[in-house]
Amino acid sequence: MKFFQYLLKIDRRIIYIVMGILVMLPLIKPLGLGVTSGPRATALFDAIDALPAGKTILISVDFDPSSMPELYPMLAGVMRHAFAKDLKVLLCGLWVTGVGLADKAVTEIPPEYGKKYGEDVVYLGWKAGVDAVILGMGENIKNVFPADYQGHPLDSLPMMREIQRLRDIPIAFAISAGTPGYQDWLLFAQSRYGMKVGAGLTAVSAADAYPYLQSGQLTGLLAGMKGGAEYEVMVQKKGYSRAYMPAVAAMDSQSLAHVVIMILVIVGNIAYFATRKRGA
Amino acid sequence: MHLSNSILTWIAAILTIGIFSFLWKDNPFYKFCEHLFVGVSVGYSISLTWYNAVYPDLFNPLFLQPFSAVSLGRKLLLVIPLILGLCYFCRFIPKVSWLIRFPMAFVLGWASGVAIPAYFQTNILKQMQGTFLTPGIFARWDVLLWAIISFIGVICSVFYFFFSKEHKGALKVASETGIVFLMVGFGASFGYTVMARMSLLIGRFQFILGDWLGVIK
Repeated sequence: MKFFQYLLKIDRRIIYIVMGILVMLPLIKPLGLGVTSGPRATALFDAIDALPAGKTILISVDFDPSSMPELYPMLAGVMRHAFAKDLKVLLCGLWVTGVGLADKAVTEIPPEYGKKYGEDVVYLGWKAGVDAVILGMGENIKNVFPADYQGHPLDSLPMMREIQRLRDIPIAFAISAGTPGYQDWLLFAQSRYGMKVGAGLTAVSAADAYPYLQSGQLTGLLAGMKGGAEYEVMVQKKGYSRAYMPAVAAMDSQSLAHVVIMILVIVGNIAYFATRKRGA
Repeated sequence: MHLSNSILTWIAAILTIGIFSFLWKDNPFYKFCEHLFVGVSVGYSISLTWYNAVYPDLFNPLFLQPFSAVSLGRKLLLVIPLILGLCYFCRFIPKVSWLIRFPMAFVLGWASGVAIPAYFQTNILKQMQGTFLTPGIFARWDVLLWAIISFIGVICSVFYFFFSKEHKGALKVASETGIVFLMVGFGASFGYTVMARMSLLIGRFQFILGDWLGVIK
Protein backbone atom coordinates (compact mmCIF):
# COMPACT_ATOMS: atom_id res chain seq x y z
CA MET A 1 0.00 0.00 0.00
CA LYS A 2 2.88 2.31 0.73
CA PHE A 3 3.97 1.83 -2.85
CA PHE A 4 0.57 2.97 -4.15
CA GLN A 5 0.60 5.98 -1.84
CA TYR A 6 4.07 6.83 -3.13
CA LEU A 7 2.78 6.57 -6.69
CA LEU A 8 -0.04 9.02 -6.00
CA LYS A 9 2.38 11.52 -4.48
CA ILE A 10 5.00 11.25 -7.20
CA ASP A 11 6.33 14.68 -8.20
CA ARG A 12 4.77 15.77 -11.49
CA ARG A 13 8.18 17.06 -12.61
CA ILE A 14 9.54 13.50 -12.66
CA ILE A 15 6.71 12.58 -15.04
CA TYR A 16 7.54 15.60 -17.24
CA ILE A 17 11.21 14.63 -17.39
CA VAL A 18 10.43 10.99 -18.24
CA MET A 19 7.94 12.11 -20.87
CA GLY A 20 10.40 14.62 -22.32
CA ILE A 21 13.16 12.02 -22.63
CA LEU A 22 10.80 9.45 -24.18
CA VAL A 23 9.55 11.97 -26.72
CA MET A 24 13.04 13.17 -27.57
CA LEU A 25 14.80 9.81 -27.97
CA PRO A 26 12.80 8.49 -30.96
CA LEU A 27 13.36 11.79 -32.74
CA ILE A 28 17.13 11.26 -32.47
CA LYS A 29 17.05 7.48 -32.98
CA PRO A 30 13.81 6.49 -34.79
CA LEU A 31 12.23 3.19 -33.76
CA GLY A 32 10.67 2.59 -37.19
CA LEU A 33 7.23 1.63 -35.85
CA GLY A 34 5.64 2.63 -39.15
CA VAL A 35 2.41 4.38 -40.08
CA THR A 36 -0.62 2.76 -41.70
CA SER A 37 -3.24 4.83 -43.48
CA GLY A 38 -6.79 4.67 -42.18
CA PRO A 39 -10.01 4.86 -44.22
CA ARG A 40 -10.66 8.54 -43.43
CA ALA A 41 -7.32 9.76 -44.77
CA THR A 42 -7.52 7.33 -47.69
CA ALA A 43 -10.94 8.71 -48.67
CA LEU A 44 -9.50 12.21 -48.95
CA PHE A 45 -6.43 10.98 -50.81
CA ASP A 46 -8.57 9.01 -53.27
CA ALA A 47 -10.90 11.98 -53.87
CA ILE A 48 -7.96 14.21 -54.80
CA ASP A 49 -6.19 11.44 -56.68
CA ALA A 50 -9.25 10.85 -58.86
CA LEU A 51 -9.32 14.43 -60.16
CA PRO A 52 -8.18 14.82 -63.77
CA ALA A 53 -5.05 16.90 -64.44
CA GLY A 54 -5.73 20.61 -64.81
CA LYS A 55 -8.53 20.74 -62.23
CA THR A 56 -8.22 23.01 -59.21
CA ILE A 57 -8.42 22.21 -55.52
CA LEU A 58 -9.11 24.88 -52.92
CA ILE A 59 -7.14 24.80 -49.67
CA SER A 60 -8.36 26.94 -46.81
CA VAL A 61 -5.54 27.62 -44.36
CA ASP A 62 -7.44 28.18 -41.12
CA PHE A 63 -4.77 27.76 -38.48
CA ASP A 64 -2.01 29.74 -36.84
CA PRO A 65 1.57 28.94 -35.83
CA SER A 66 0.50 27.34 -32.54
CA SER A 67 -1.05 24.44 -34.49
CA MET A 68 1.73 24.22 -37.05
CA PRO A 69 3.23 20.86 -35.93
CA GLU A 70 -0.12 19.16 -36.43
CA LEU A 71 -1.50 20.92 -39.47
CA TYR A 72 1.36 22.16 -41.64
CA PRO A 73 2.35 18.59 -42.70
CA MET A 74 -1.22 18.19 -44.03
CA LEU A 75 -0.95 21.39 -46.03
CA ALA A 76 2.42 20.38 -47.47
CA GLY A 77 1.25 16.81 -48.15
CA VAL A 78 -1.92 17.80 -50.01
CA MET A 79 -0.08 20.46 -52.03
CA ARG A 80 2.62 17.96 -53.05
CA HIS A 81 -0.06 15.44 -54.00
CA ALA A 82 -1.88 18.04 -56.10
CA PHE A 83 1.23 19.25 -57.92
CA ALA A 84 2.38 15.69 -58.61
CA LYS A 85 -1.02 15.06 -60.21
CA ASP A 86 -0.78 18.29 -62.23
CA LEU A 87 -3.67 19.83 -60.34
CA LYS A 88 -3.84 23.55 -59.68
CA VAL A 89 -3.99 24.83 -56.12
CA LEU A 90 -5.94 27.85 -54.94
CA LEU A 91 -5.32 28.88 -51.34
CA CYS A 92 -7.18 31.23 -49.07
CA GLY A 93 -7.65 31.60 -45.33
CA LEU A 94 -10.26 32.39 -42.71
CA TRP A 95 -7.66 33.00 -39.98
CA VAL A 96 -5.71 36.22 -40.20
CA THR A 97 -2.77 34.72 -38.28
CA GLY A 98 -2.46 31.96 -40.86
CA VAL A 99 -1.45 34.14 -43.78
CA GLY A 100 2.28 33.71 -43.14
CA LEU A 101 1.99 29.92 -43.06
CA ALA A 102 0.11 29.74 -46.35
CA ASP A 103 2.61 32.14 -47.90
CA LYS A 104 5.47 29.91 -46.68
CA ALA A 105 3.87 26.86 -48.32
CA VAL A 106 3.22 28.75 -51.57
CA THR A 107 6.86 29.91 -51.63
CA GLU A 108 8.51 26.59 -50.76
CA ILE A 109 6.46 23.73 -52.27
CA PRO A 110 5.57 24.63 -55.91
CA PRO A 111 9.26 24.99 -56.97
CA GLU A 112 9.84 21.32 -55.95
CA TYR A 113 7.59 20.37 -58.90
CA GLY A 114 8.56 23.18 -61.24
CA LYS A 115 5.18 24.85 -60.75
CA LYS A 116 4.77 28.57 -61.30
CA TYR A 117 2.88 31.09 -59.24
CA GLY A 118 -0.13 32.42 -61.14
CA GLU A 119 -0.28 29.44 -63.49
CA ASP A 120 -0.40 26.48 -61.09
CA VAL A 121 -0.91 28.04 -57.71
CA VAL A 122 -2.53 31.24 -56.41
CA TYR A 123 -2.79 32.44 -52.85
CA LEU A 124 -5.74 34.78 -52.29
CA GLY A 125 -4.88 35.74 -48.71
CA TRP A 126 -7.32 36.51 -45.94
CA LYS A 127 -10.47 38.62 -45.78
CA ALA A 128 -12.60 39.47 -42.78
CA GLY A 129 -16.16 38.13 -42.52
CA VAL A 130 -16.14 34.35 -42.70
CA ASP A 131 -19.64 33.61 -44.02
CA ALA A 132 -19.64 36.67 -46.29
CA VAL A 133 -16.29 35.59 -47.75
CA ILE A 134 -17.42 32.04 -48.57
CA LEU A 135 -20.80 33.14 -49.92
CA GLY A 136 -19.10 35.86 -51.96
CA MET A 137 -16.65 33.34 -53.39
CA GLY A 138 -19.62 31.21 -54.34
CA GLU A 139 -20.94 34.06 -56.51
CA ASN A 140 -17.68 35.50 -57.83
CA ILE A 141 -14.23 35.05 -56.32
CA LYS A 142 -12.98 38.30 -57.85
CA ASN A 143 -15.62 40.32 -56.00
CA VAL A 144 -14.21 39.13 -52.68
CA PHE A 145 -10.56 39.00 -53.68
CA PRO A 146 -9.95 41.53 -56.46
CA ALA A 147 -6.22 40.90 -55.95
CA ASP A 148 -4.19 38.04 -54.52
CA TYR A 149 -2.10 38.13 -51.35
CA GLN A 150 0.82 39.70 -53.19
CA GLY A 151 -1.39 42.40 -54.72
CA HIS A 152 -1.60 41.04 -58.29
CA PRO A 153 -5.06 41.65 -59.80
CA LEU A 154 -6.74 38.25 -60.25
CA ASP A 155 -7.45 39.03 -63.91
CA SER A 156 -3.70 39.15 -64.52
CA LEU A 157 -3.19 35.57 -63.25
CA PRO A 158 -3.67 32.91 -65.97
CA MET A 159 -4.94 30.29 -63.52
CA MET A 160 -7.79 32.54 -62.36
CA ARG A 161 -9.21 32.99 -65.87
CA GLU A 162 -10.82 29.54 -65.64
CA ILE A 163 -11.99 29.90 -62.06
CA GLN A 164 -14.84 32.31 -61.48
CA ARG A 165 -16.70 30.85 -58.51
CA LEU A 166 -16.70 27.93 -56.08
CA ARG A 167 -18.69 25.74 -58.48
CA ASP A 168 -15.61 25.74 -60.76
CA ILE A 169 -13.62 23.98 -58.05
CA PRO A 170 -14.42 20.29 -57.44
CA ILE A 171 -13.14 20.01 -53.86
CA ALA A 172 -12.14 22.18 -50.93
CA PHE A 173 -9.75 21.02 -48.25
CA ALA A 174 -10.16 23.02 -45.05
CA ILE A 175 -7.27 22.77 -42.60
CA SER A 176 -8.75 24.03 -39.36
CA ALA A 177 -7.49 24.59 -35.85
CA GLY A 178 -10.92 25.68 -34.62
CA THR A 179 -13.51 28.26 -35.58
CA PRO A 180 -13.80 29.56 -38.27
CA GLY A 181 -12.91 26.45 -40.20
CA TYR A 182 -14.26 23.36 -41.93
CA GLN A 183 -17.74 23.81 -40.44
CA ASP A 184 -18.10 27.14 -42.25
CA TRP A 185 -17.12 25.48 -45.52
CA LEU A 186 -19.75 22.81 -44.86
CA LEU A 187 -22.34 25.42 -43.86
CA PHE A 188 -21.92 27.75 -46.81
CA ALA A 189 -19.84 26.13 -49.56
CA GLN A 190 -21.38 22.67 -49.38
CA SER A 191 -24.98 23.33 -48.38
CA ARG A 192 -25.39 26.17 -50.87
CA TYR A 193 -23.01 25.30 -53.71
CA GLY A 194 -22.77 21.53 -53.30
CA MET A 195 -19.00 21.62 -52.99
CA LYS A 196 -17.12 18.55 -51.78
CA VAL A 197 -15.29 19.34 -48.55
CA GLY A 198 -12.44 17.46 -46.89
CA ALA A 199 -11.01 18.46 -43.53
CA GLY A 200 -7.67 18.43 -41.80
CA LEU A 201 -8.10 19.10 -38.11
CA THR A 202 -6.19 19.36 -34.90
CA ALA A 203 -6.68 16.22 -32.86
CA VAL A 204 -8.59 18.19 -30.21
CA SER A 205 -11.42 18.95 -32.63
CA ALA A 206 -11.29 15.74 -34.67
CA ALA A 207 -13.86 13.84 -32.59
CA ASP A 208 -16.44 16.55 -33.34
CA ALA A 209 -16.03 15.99 -37.08
CA TYR A 210 -16.91 12.29 -37.13
CA PRO A 211 -20.69 12.89 -37.43
CA TYR A 212 -20.03 14.86 -40.64
CA LEU A 213 -17.90 12.04 -41.93
CA GLN A 214 -20.50 9.40 -41.18
CA SER A 215 -23.24 11.42 -42.88
CA GLY A 216 -21.10 11.80 -45.98
CA GLN A 217 -20.81 15.58 -45.65
CA LEU A 218 -17.05 15.35 -45.27
CA THR A 219 -15.25 13.60 -48.08
CA GLY A 220 -12.31 12.66 -45.88
CA LEU A 221 -10.64 13.59 -42.63
CA LEU A 222 -7.06 14.00 -41.49
CA ALA A 223 -7.03 14.00 -37.69
CA GLY A 224 -4.06 15.58 -35.97
CA MET A 225 -0.43 14.73 -36.58
CA LYS A 226 -1.38 11.11 -37.26
CA GLY A 227 -3.61 12.26 -40.12
CA GLY A 228 -0.75 14.29 -41.55
CA ALA A 229 1.57 11.27 -41.26
CA GLU A 230 -0.97 9.03 -42.99
CA TYR A 231 -1.20 11.45 -45.90
CA GLU A 232 2.60 11.82 -46.13
CA VAL A 233 2.95 8.03 -46.31
CA MET A 234 0.33 7.71 -49.08
CA VAL A 235 1.95 10.50 -51.10
CA GLN A 236 5.37 8.84 -50.83
CA LYS A 237 4.05 5.33 -51.53
CA LYS A 238 2.57 6.54 -54.82
CA GLY A 239 5.92 8.14 -55.65
CA TYR A 240 4.54 11.68 -55.66
CA SER A 241 7.15 13.06 -53.26
CA ARG A 242 10.48 12.26 -51.69
CA ALA A 243 10.46 15.20 -49.34
CA TYR A 244 11.21 14.89 -45.63
CA MET A 245 8.11 13.75 -43.71
CA PRO A 246 7.97 15.65 -40.39
CA ALA A 247 4.71 14.06 -39.24
CA VAL A 248 5.92 10.52 -39.95
CA ALA A 249 9.19 11.30 -38.15
CA ALA A 250 7.17 12.35 -35.11
CA MET A 251 4.96 9.26 -34.92
CA ASP A 252 7.44 7.10 -32.98
CA SER A 253 7.56 9.76 -30.27
CA GLN A 254 3.79 10.05 -30.40
CA SER A 255 3.31 6.29 -30.00
CA LEU A 256 5.81 6.07 -27.14
CA ALA A 257 4.17 9.01 -25.35
CA HIS A 258 0.75 7.39 -25.71
CA VAL A 259 2.00 4.13 -24.25
CA VAL A 260 3.45 6.01 -21.26
CA ILE A 261 0.19 7.92 -20.74
CA MET A 262 -1.86 4.72 -20.92
CA ILE A 263 0.42 3.12 -18.32
CA LEU A 264 0.18 6.21 -16.11
CA VAL A 265 -3.63 6.29 -16.38
CA ILE A 266 -3.93 2.58 -15.53
CA VAL A 267 -1.38 2.68 -12.69
CA GLY A 268 -2.85 5.92 -11.35
CA ASN A 269 -6.35 4.42 -11.24
CA ILE A 270 -5.16 1.21 -9.60
CA ALA A 271 -3.25 3.23 -6.99
CA TYR A 272 -6.25 5.48 -6.41
CA PHE A 273 -8.72 2.64 -5.89
CA ALA A 274 -6.28 0.63 -3.78
CA THR A 275 -5.64 3.52 -1.40
CA ARG A 276 -9.31 4.59 -1.34
CA LYS A 277 -10.47 1.11 -0.40
CA ARG A 278 -7.98 1.03 2.44
CA GLY A 279 -9.02 4.46 3.64
CA ALA A 280 -12.70 3.47 3.61
CA MET B 1 25.51 18.53 -34.20
CA HIS B 2 25.25 21.75 -36.16
CA LEU B 3 24.14 24.75 -34.12
CA SER B 4 21.99 27.27 -35.94
CA ASN B 5 23.67 30.55 -36.83
CA SER B 6 20.37 32.39 -37.17
CA ILE B 7 19.67 34.90 -34.42
CA LEU B 8 15.91 34.42 -34.90
CA THR B 9 16.20 30.67 -34.33
CA TRP B 10 18.20 31.33 -31.15
CA ILE B 11 15.57 33.78 -29.88
CA ALA B 12 12.78 31.29 -30.65
CA ALA B 13 14.68 28.48 -28.92
CA ILE B 14 15.38 30.54 -25.80
CA LEU B 15 11.72 31.63 -25.62
CA THR B 16 10.62 27.98 -26.03
CA ILE B 17 12.82 26.98 -23.11
CA GLY B 18 11.42 29.92 -21.17
CA ILE B 19 7.86 28.68 -21.68
CA PHE B 20 8.87 25.10 -20.79
CA SER B 21 10.47 26.38 -17.56
CA PHE B 22 6.93 26.70 -16.18
CA LEU B 23 6.83 22.91 -15.95
CA TRP B 24 9.44 23.15 -13.22
CA LYS B 25 7.78 26.06 -11.46
CA ASP B 26 6.45 29.54 -12.13
CA ASN B 27 9.31 32.00 -12.61
CA PRO B 28 10.02 35.52 -13.96
CA PHE B 29 11.55 34.20 -17.20
CA TYR B 30 8.34 32.29 -17.96
CA LYS B 31 6.26 35.37 -17.10
CA PHE B 32 8.38 37.44 -19.50
CA CYS B 33 7.93 34.91 -22.32
CA GLU B 34 4.19 34.62 -21.65
CA HIS B 35 3.62 38.38 -21.73
CA LEU B 36 5.81 38.74 -24.79
CA PHE B 37 3.78 36.05 -26.56
CA VAL B 38 0.47 37.74 -25.73
CA GLY B 39 1.74 41.14 -26.83
CA VAL B 40 3.29 39.89 -30.05
CA SER B 41 0.18 37.84 -30.92
CA VAL B 42 -2.11 40.83 -30.50
CA GLY B 43 0.23 43.16 -32.37
CA TYR B 44 0.65 40.62 -35.17
CA SER B 45 -3.13 40.18 -35.51
CA ILE B 46 -3.76 43.93 -35.51
CA SER B 47 -1.13 44.67 -38.14
CA LEU B 48 -2.32 41.80 -40.36
CA THR B 49 -5.93 42.93 -40.04
CA TRP B 50 -4.94 46.48 -40.96
CA TYR B 51 -2.85 45.53 -44.00
CA ASN B 52 -5.16 42.74 -45.24
CA ALA B 53 -8.60 44.23 -44.61
CA VAL B 54 -8.93 47.74 -43.20
CA TYR B 55 -6.35 49.47 -45.39
CA PRO B 56 -7.09 47.87 -48.80
CA ASP B 57 -10.87 47.57 -48.38
CA LEU B 58 -11.74 50.74 -46.47
CA PHE B 59 -9.02 53.29 -45.74
CA ASN B 60 -7.33 53.32 -49.13
CA PRO B 61 -10.45 53.53 -51.35
CA LEU B 62 -12.26 55.94 -49.03
CA PHE B 63 -9.51 58.43 -48.14
CA LEU B 64 -6.52 57.94 -50.45
CA GLN B 65 -7.84 57.02 -53.88
CA PRO B 66 -9.17 59.87 -56.04
CA PHE B 67 -12.74 60.06 -57.36
CA SER B 68 -11.43 59.02 -60.77
CA ALA B 69 -10.49 55.63 -59.30
CA VAL B 70 -13.34 55.17 -56.82
CA SER B 71 -16.77 56.59 -57.60
CA LEU B 72 -18.66 58.87 -55.20
CA GLY B 73 -21.35 56.22 -54.79
CA ARG B 74 -18.80 53.59 -53.71
CA LYS B 75 -17.15 56.05 -51.34
CA LEU B 76 -20.52 56.84 -49.74
CA LEU B 77 -21.20 53.11 -49.45
CA LEU B 78 -17.90 52.66 -47.61
CA VAL B 79 -18.91 55.31 -45.08
CA ILE B 80 -21.54 52.89 -43.69
CA PRO B 81 -19.06 50.20 -42.50
CA LEU B 82 -16.74 52.97 -41.31
CA ILE B 83 -19.46 54.44 -39.06
CA LEU B 84 -20.58 50.99 -37.88
CA GLY B 85 -16.97 50.09 -37.11
CA LEU B 86 -16.37 53.32 -35.20
CA CYS B 87 -19.51 52.66 -33.15
CA TYR B 88 -17.70 49.69 -31.58
CA PHE B 89 -15.23 52.14 -30.01
CA CYS B 90 -18.11 54.03 -28.35
CA ARG B 91 -18.01 51.25 -25.77
CA PHE B 92 -15.13 53.16 -24.17
CA ILE B 93 -17.13 56.42 -23.84
CA PRO B 94 -19.90 55.92 -21.26
CA LYS B 95 -22.11 58.77 -22.57
CA VAL B 96 -22.42 57.25 -26.04
CA SER B 97 -21.76 53.61 -25.23
CA TRP B 98 -25.31 52.75 -26.35
CA LEU B 99 -24.21 53.35 -29.95
CA ILE B 100 -22.52 49.93 -29.94
CA ARG B 101 -26.00 48.44 -30.30
CA PHE B 102 -26.14 49.47 -33.96
CA PRO B 103 -23.17 47.46 -35.25
CA MET B 104 -24.08 44.55 -32.97
CA ALA B 105 -27.64 44.56 -34.25
CA PHE B 106 -26.34 44.65 -37.81
CA VAL B 107 -23.93 41.77 -37.25
CA LEU B 108 -26.47 39.67 -35.35
CA GLY B 109 -29.15 40.26 -37.95
CA TRP B 110 -26.86 39.48 -40.86
CA ALA B 111 -25.31 36.43 -39.23
CA SER B 112 -28.65 35.00 -38.12
CA GLY B 113 -30.25 35.51 -41.51
CA VAL B 114 -27.37 33.94 -43.35
CA ALA B 115 -26.43 31.19 -40.94
CA ILE B 116 -29.74 29.82 -39.62
CA PRO B 117 -30.96 28.18 -42.87
CA ALA B 118 -27.47 26.85 -43.62
CA TYR B 119 -27.03 25.64 -40.05
CA PHE B 120 -30.40 23.91 -40.14
CA GLN B 121 -29.52 22.19 -43.40
CA THR B 122 -25.99 21.16 -42.38
CA ASN B 123 -26.27 20.37 -38.70
CA ILE B 124 -29.85 19.19 -38.31
CA LEU B 125 -31.36 17.83 -41.52
CA LYS B 126 -28.20 16.21 -42.89
CA GLN B 127 -27.24 14.93 -39.45
CA MET B 128 -30.69 13.43 -38.82
CA GLN B 129 -30.44 11.75 -42.18
CA GLY B 130 -26.89 10.62 -41.45
CA THR B 131 -27.91 9.11 -38.11
CA PHE B 132 -29.19 6.09 -39.94
CA LEU B 133 -29.20 6.60 -43.68
CA THR B 134 -25.48 6.70 -44.31
CA PRO B 135 -24.13 6.42 -47.85
CA GLY B 136 -24.06 2.77 -48.86
CA ILE B 137 -25.73 1.61 -45.66
CA PHE B 138 -26.79 -1.76 -47.04
CA ALA B 139 -23.67 -2.31 -49.11
CA ARG B 140 -21.76 -4.07 -46.33
CA TRP B 141 -22.83 -5.72 -43.09
CA ASP B 142 -20.30 -3.78 -41.00
CA VAL B 143 -21.56 -0.41 -42.32
CA LEU B 144 -25.11 -1.48 -41.45
CA LEU B 145 -23.99 -2.57 -37.98
CA TRP B 146 -22.25 0.76 -37.29
CA ALA B 147 -25.29 2.65 -38.58
CA ILE B 148 -27.54 0.74 -36.17
CA ILE B 149 -25.13 1.38 -33.27
CA SER B 150 -25.01 5.10 -34.16
CA PHE B 151 -28.79 5.20 -34.31
CA ILE B 152 -29.15 3.56 -30.89
CA GLY B 153 -26.45 5.90 -29.51
CA VAL B 154 -28.19 9.03 -30.76
CA ILE B 155 -31.62 7.99 -29.49
CA CYS B 156 -30.32 6.91 -26.06
CA SER B 157 -28.15 10.02 -25.66
CA VAL B 158 -31.13 12.22 -26.48
CA PHE B 159 -33.17 10.33 -23.87
CA TYR B 160 -30.49 11.11 -21.28
CA PHE B 161 -31.22 14.81 -21.83
CA PHE B 162 -34.98 14.30 -21.67
CA PHE B 163 -35.98 15.81 -18.35
CA SER B 164 -39.78 16.08 -18.66
CA LYS B 165 -40.34 12.60 -17.21
CA GLU B 166 -38.61 10.76 -14.38
CA HIS B 167 -36.03 8.29 -15.65
CA LYS B 168 -37.69 5.01 -14.65
CA GLY B 169 -38.31 1.73 -16.45
CA ALA B 170 -37.55 1.78 -20.17
CA LEU B 171 -36.56 5.44 -20.01
CA LYS B 172 -33.96 4.62 -17.35
CA VAL B 173 -32.49 1.84 -19.48
CA ALA B 174 -32.34 4.15 -22.48
CA SER B 175 -30.81 7.07 -20.59
CA GLU B 176 -28.22 4.83 -18.91
CA THR B 177 -27.32 3.36 -22.26
CA GLY B 178 -27.00 6.98 -23.41
CA ILE B 179 -24.48 7.63 -20.62
CA VAL B 180 -22.33 4.77 -21.93
CA PHE B 181 -22.31 6.33 -25.40
CA LEU B 182 -21.54 9.77 -23.94
CA MET B 183 -18.64 8.34 -21.93
CA VAL B 184 -17.23 6.68 -25.03
CA GLY B 185 -17.50 10.06 -26.79
CA PHE B 186 -15.73 11.87 -23.95
CA GLY B 187 -13.04 9.19 -23.90
CA ALA B 188 -12.44 9.60 -27.63
CA SER B 189 -12.22 13.38 -27.20
CA PHE B 190 -9.76 12.98 -24.31
CA GLY B 191 -7.62 10.56 -26.31
CA TYR B 192 -7.50 12.97 -29.22
CA THR B 193 -6.68 15.83 -26.82
CA VAL B 194 -3.69 13.88 -25.46
CA MET B 195 -2.53 13.30 -29.02
CA ALA B 196 -2.89 17.02 -29.82
CA ARG B 197 -0.88 18.14 -26.80
CA MET B 198 1.83 15.57 -27.49
CA SER B 199 1.98 16.73 -31.10
CA LEU B 200 2.68 20.28 -29.96
CA LEU B 201 5.42 19.04 -27.61
CA ILE B 202 6.95 16.96 -30.41
CA GLY B 203 6.78 19.97 -32.73
CA ARG B 204 8.78 22.05 -30.26
CA PHE B 205 11.32 19.25 -29.77
CA GLN B 206 11.67 18.92 -33.53
CA PHE B 207 12.43 22.64 -33.63
CA ILE B 208 14.93 22.50 -30.73
CA LEU B 209 16.71 19.36 -31.93
CA GLY B 210 16.50 20.15 -35.64
CA ASP B 211 16.41 23.85 -36.41
CA TRP B 212 18.37 24.97 -33.34
CA LEU B 213 20.80 22.20 -32.33
CA GLY B 214 20.98 20.47 -35.70
CA VAL B 215 20.91 17.01 -34.13
CA ILE B 216 18.08 15.74 -36.34
CA LYS B 217 16.96 16.56 -39.88
